[in-house]
Amino acid sequence: MTSLTTFYLSRIIDTKALDSNGKVIGIVKDLLVDSDSSNYTSGHPSVNGIKIKFNKRMDFFAFRDFHIEKVGGKMRVICDKLTALPAEHIDGDLYLVDSVLDKQIVDLNGRKLVRVNDVRLVSIANGTYAVAVDIGIEGLLRRIGIVRPIKFMSSLFGANVSSKFILWEDVEAIDFSNLNIKLSKSYSRLQTLHPSDLADIIEDLGRKASAEVFSSLDEEKAADVLEELEIDAQVRILESLSIEKAADVLDKMPADEVADIFDALEDDKVELLLKEMGEDTSQEVRELLYYPDNSVGSIMSTEVLSFNEDATIDEVLADLKAKKPEAEALYNLFVTGENDVLIATFSLRDLVIHAPETSIRQIMRPATVHLRDYQKINEVAELVSKYNLLAIPVVDRDNVLQGMVVIDDVIDDLMGKGRTNK
Amino acid sequence: MFRTKKTFYQRLVLFLAILGPGIITGSVDNDAGGITTYSVAGALYGYNLLWTLIPSFVVLVAIQEMNARMGIVTGKGLADLIRENAGVKITFFIFIGLLIADIGNTTTEFAGVAGSMEVFGVNKYISVPIVGFMVWFLVVKGTYKFAERIFLLFSVSLLMYVVSALMGKPNWGEIGHAVIHPQMEINAKSLAMVIGIVGTTIAPWMQFYMQSSVIEKGLEMKNYRYSLIDIVVGCVATVVVAFFIIVACASTLHVNGIQINEAKDAALALKPLAGAFASQVFAFGLFIASIFSATILPLATAFYVCEAFGFEAGIDKKWDEAKEFYVLYTGILVLSAAIILIPNAPLIGISLWSQVLNGILLPMVLVCMMLLVNNKKIMGKYVNNPLTNLVGWIAVVVLIALSVLLVFQPLFG
Repeated sequence: MTSLTTFYLSRIIDTKALDSNGKVIGIVKDLLVDSDSSNYTSGHPSVNGIKIKFNKRMDFFAFRDFHIEKVGGKMRVICDKLTALPAEHIDGDLYLVDSVLDKQIVDLNGRKLVRVNDVRLVSIANGTYAVAVDIGIEGLLRRIGIVRPIKFMSSLFGANVSSKFILWEDVEAIDFSNLNIKLSKSYSRLQTLHPSDLADIIEDLGRKASAEVFSSLDEEKAADVLEELEIDAQVRILESLSIEKAADVLDKMPADEVADIFDALEDDKVELLLKEMGEDTSQEVRELLYYPDNSVGSIMSTEVLSFNEDATIDEVLADLKAKKPEAEALYNLFVTGENDVLIATFSLRDLVIHAPETSIRQIMRPATVHLRDYQKINEVAELVSKYNLLAIPVVDRDNVLQGMVVIDDVIDDLMGKGRTNK
Repeated sequence: MFRTKKTFYQRLVLFLAILGPGIITGSVDNDAGGITTYSVAGALYGYNLLWTLIPSFVVLVAIQEMNARMGIVTGKGLADLIRENAGVKITFFIFIGLLIADIGNTTTEFAGVAGSMEVFGVNKYISVPIVGFMVWFLVVKGTYKFAERIFLLFSVSLLMYVVSALMGKPNWGEIGHAVIHPQMEINAKSLAMVIGIVGTTIAPWMQFYMQSSVIEKGLEMKNYRYSLIDIVVGCVATVVVAFFIIVACASTLHVNGIQINEAKDAALALKPLAGAFASQVFAFGLFIASIFSATILPLATAFYVCEAFGFEAGIDKKWDEAKEFYVLYTGILVLSAAIILIPNAPLIGISLWSQVLNGILLPMVLVCMMLLVNNKKIMGKYVNNPLTNLVGWIAVVVLIALSVLLVFQPLFG
């Protein structure tokens, strides 16, 4: 046996597998590789099994007793001994032809979906590994069987047929026809992507795959991704989840985002989800849902931090450390009096530049700029740009602090307007 | 706020939100090629080919319903599904065929633009480059969605053919008789005409377009009923417009024994028979239909070719991100417009051959569709019911038989 053989999946699929005497044992139909990336040797999954068709019957054999030989430019699959493949591999492995070849996979570096034209494998002394996927034109032409004439033709014109590979450690297969695969393990590398990128990928995926990818994410990540999705996709994904799972994810999202999604869902579904969600969040969402669509109340964030004017900077900082609020909540800090009536505001900067024992009363500024919860949304952008604010407090008729509108929410609104005016 | 029963108003809003894919596809369906075919059929055979619209309608609804269902259930485009399930080789040959046919079809659209503007006295060397650039600019500069709505509004003007037809004072008794008891000589020429009508009503690229728009709309299976209404309305619109074009030409040109080769000829010939207004109405309808399809056709083609071969595609992408897509799109547009501008270009030949190619590709695409839509792994519990399968397979068999006849008919003389 040669010490190193590289070959393409397309070159051995639908060829005859031979035994050591040269007798045909069947047609090669698929290769099975390890689906759990934590088992990979230097990022490459090993080929565990081979699917062979003989007389209309499909058999699975262990690949370690097979080897690939290059004879006169052709690949030959030769079997030394037939050992049945253990059921755990048949059930749990990734099928290269079924789930990778011609399918869309995630390019983790390019953060997008690509279509696989071929898979490059390598055989070394201790096993056979999938090393890269071919997504270039060359792979396409190879599959059609016209790569050599085209390459010859283009070389006459001094042009090159572009070949493009992505190493296996930089891809993640997503569309499994094999339902027994443990998805959370198979998709583990997707967790490293930024929520926005993951959201883009999920939007581009088919219905089944997008639901599977989403449910493999942990709740925190799932909530971040859900927030980034377009409204259509949000609804689609939520419908694909069980009520319990959906409620768990929504619990991790800001109440105003949840309310936005609920506006697009059916009322019965919303009621079910609200019952299942944590009491605090569902109460907040319920309140937001009562606001009309184009009112400030419907877009405001209810996660606000308010303090007593007698507190010292030290106490406020200790409180923040304990609460660990989201970055957004720190855009603006508030001082409230009796019954949560808004008195004044102060900023993170104020906290940082003054001595720890200073009281909030000394650094706070009166909250002259604020919004009412039933005010129209289109008046917000003007205020934000006029006063250069990151967040504006929202109060009700009795000046009770209800939440705040963050610049991010208004930017969406402004950009939406720009688009329709074009 | 938590009502469980939907009021009539809510249902209407929901329907209007879902409305679109079927009706737009239906409108694009009556493109320059379609108008030409219907006009020629009316002029040549009078009311005698009207009956073909009935089976066409049934098959059209059945096919579009399958497309919508596949799009809703899988969330994947038809090109995606074909590539993933039929392999590279079949995909390659289908899509090379579609690409060539669609360049031919787009050429026909520009011929429609040129012809209709000539009726208004505008030279094709002026109208075609302007329209071509306008279409390209609309799409590349990303105001396509806006344009689509404008076109949809304009496509109401296709109903002008009703006006045009009524001004020709058709004989309704004869029409009724012709639909129920069609009298037609069966020969190579009439057979080609029948294939032409069916082929132009059910063009292969439409299936890809329909499925993509369903996905883009993000439709759900629970609103399937509304999607179905949308499809039926779109198909009815298609067939009604086709009906009136045939009637318009039959009641004027056929009665007077005037033969035509192009839709433009029909517009011109209507002038002495039904008045200048009828002629202009006819030409304006042709212009709108041509420009609508000239926008959507190259876009749809570039999109599904990229989808099948795994290139980035979409008008929301930048030129550098989706180079193959934009090159393809621009290429199809430029090539088609250029062909029209060649002096003495064999336009009738091009439109004929792209129709023949359509006719050959349609059964191939349909067979792929029937296999996909019956695949439990892909469709789950939403596979075809026996009735849809019956209609689908009969359509496949009849279309294959017709295409084979059409292709080999020159051999038999």
